[in-house]
Amino acid sequence: MNAVRLSLPIFFIVVSLVLAILTLQLPHAQLGNPYGPMYFPLVVSIGLFLFSVIDLIKTRHYFGKENEDLKALLKKETLFTLGVILALCLLYTLIFERVGFLLSTVIFLAAIMFFLNGKKKWMLNIIVTLVVSGSSWYVFSYLLEISLP
Amino acid sequence: MDLSFVLDGLWTALQPINLLWLIIGAILGTIVGILPGLGPATGVAVLIPLTFGMEPVSALILMAAIYYGALFGGSRSSILINTPGDGSSIAATFDGYPMTKNGQAGQAMSIAAMASLIGGVMAIFGFIFLAIPLANFALNFGPAEYLFLFFFALSAVVALSIGNMVKGFITMFLGLGISTIGIDLQSGVHRHTFDIPHFTEGISFVVIIIGIYAIGEVLYNMFANKQPKDVDGSKIGQKWFTKEQWRRSIAPILRSGPIGFFLGVLPGSGGTISSLLAYSTEKQISKNKKQFGKGAVEGLVAPESANSSAAVGSLIPMLTMAIPGSATTAVMLGALVMIGITPGPLLFENSPDLVWTLINSMFIGNIILVIINIAMVGVLVKILKTPPKVLYPIVLILSFIGAYTLGYSTIDFYILIIAGVIGLFMRLLDYPIVPLILALIVGGEMEQNLRRALVIYDQPVDMLFASPITIVLALLTLLSFSYPLIIKLVKRASKNKDHTVDL
Repeated sequence: MNAVRLSLPIFFIVVSLVLAILTLQLPHAQLGNPYGPMYFPLVVSIGLFLFSVIDLIKTRHYFGKENEDLKALLKKETLFTLGVILALCLLYTLIFERVGFLLSTVIFLAAIMFFLNGKKKWMLNIIVTLVVSGSSWYVFSYLLEISLP
Repeated sequence: MDLSFVLDGLWTALQPINLLWLIIGAILGTIVGILPGLGPATGVAVLIPLTFGMEPVSALILMAAIYYGALFGGSRSSILINTPGDGSSIAATFDGYPMTKNGQAGQAMSIAAMASLIGGVMAIFGFIFLAIPLANFALNFGPAEYLFLFFFALSAVVALSIGNMVKGFITMFLGLGISTIGIDLQSGVHRHTFDIPHFTEGISFVVIIIGIYAIGEVLYNMFANKQPKDVDGSKIGQKWFTKEQWRRSIAPILRSGPIGFFLGVLPGSGGTISSLLAYSTEKQISKNKKQFGKGAVEGLVAPESANSSAAVGSLIPMLTMAIPGSATTAVMLGALVMIGITPGPLLFENSPDLVWTLINSMFIGNIILVIINIAMVGVLVKILKTPPKVLYPIVLILSFIGAYTLGYSTIDFYILIIAGVIGLFMRLLDYPIVPLILALIVGGEMEQNLRRALVIYDQPVDMLFASPITIVLALLTLLSFSYPLIIKLVKRASKNKDHTVDL
């Protein structure tokens, strides 16, 4: 649980350092003050770093304290569920432009519906998948004239 | 004030197509608001793509209708199942749910809808009288004034994370950091784009908002969601409130409207604080103090009126100065920019028709919402029973479509997923989201104004004394930052006093 609590402050410290390094590597501006583009991100990265360090130090006060949400997150089944959902989101991202909106959405929705609701509710899963995919395709492509792949 | 603009606005708002969008927005908003776990910010975020390809005025009407529709809907789930849709409808659970337990669910919902209507209408008058002078006032703002205005807005939002100010600063700096990605407008230098062409225009803050709110919320609800309690449609009871309830409600409604409006106008305060403040104020002055928490109608109508009023109030800083007063108006601001409406003082000068149509549509929309909420109680109860495991995949799909329509690139899908995971952890570890969103939105403008001001004034300190406005805004910023400290000192002082009295 403590590792999860430490994860965000450490992540933000890493982000601040990356931001500072990237900013220091920026080319000098040809127009105006050559360092102009660097000031703001540099100040931001310093601010982010300092507050994240303070936060990291303050985090130890929470060590050992119960947190229902964190407990629920760290259950094996939760991690598995979240992992599968994120993996399906990534899969959707990869196939979205390759196979087109309609087919990729049907695959994604069907997979996620069957995963969450089980095989027993196959009728509900199929109806929701087809109705949502079809109606969103119709609304966005035809009514709103948004070009989808 | 030119009356012809008002009448033109009313005429445009009454056009069948705009009325249709208004009704659709009100219904969609109510549905989104009533669904457990989805707040107005998420609702507006996932429904943004609907506004693309629309006339700007229709888009604005639709979005505003979704916004206050979601607020109406949010209080339905508070009253019926003791589960607030978002922070602003928490106060509605205090007496709304006990009313349901007393078999007065129908009456609670109808009087709450009436309170929202009156609060909303009061705030619309406030909007008319405050927004235009404020927009004219903001026309005089130069880079230094804008810079300090941004400082104040950010400080107000961070200060609201009482007890969590360090985390508020972190998310604010994170938002400012993300806002620096893309081409630097003053020098043409590519900053942190990793040679990805899609990043040259920066990362769309709407994608991040959808990711953090919608995807983050779906992931969070996968394990943290308490299954919605079952609602028995037959126990709604009488649909219309009694004369006695109305007599007890009218004064609290009229008192709470202005409270909500003025708190709504302040950046960051939004509906949560205004509804809680309206509740506690009413509790203090009410003759029926003992009934509060057990189903006192005053305890329900006061926060409802304030909440609805705050929603209209929070549109003022968003439309006049492009500073969102709440998470939902932040999302709306992003969507407006995407469809070519640039909020700011010039909006009132260049497009008065748009502003007046919105105001008139808000009047009509509030009335439509009362009708929807009272006439469709049975349907709303059924919607409340939507299984989350059917709902969340739909929210995911709408989020992906929304992200795609913003930039027509699946790179935004990756950003969406990453923002969702970060949003999940922020929720779990109590990192406030609003400072991040506000910083992300105003970051670019803030930097540009800072650099312009640095060119105009020789010394940075000269910016502070550029005009009385900058001094006032700087003082307000200072006050915001020291606000939690002041509260602490006051509490300590009153504790000491109590001790002295005890002795």
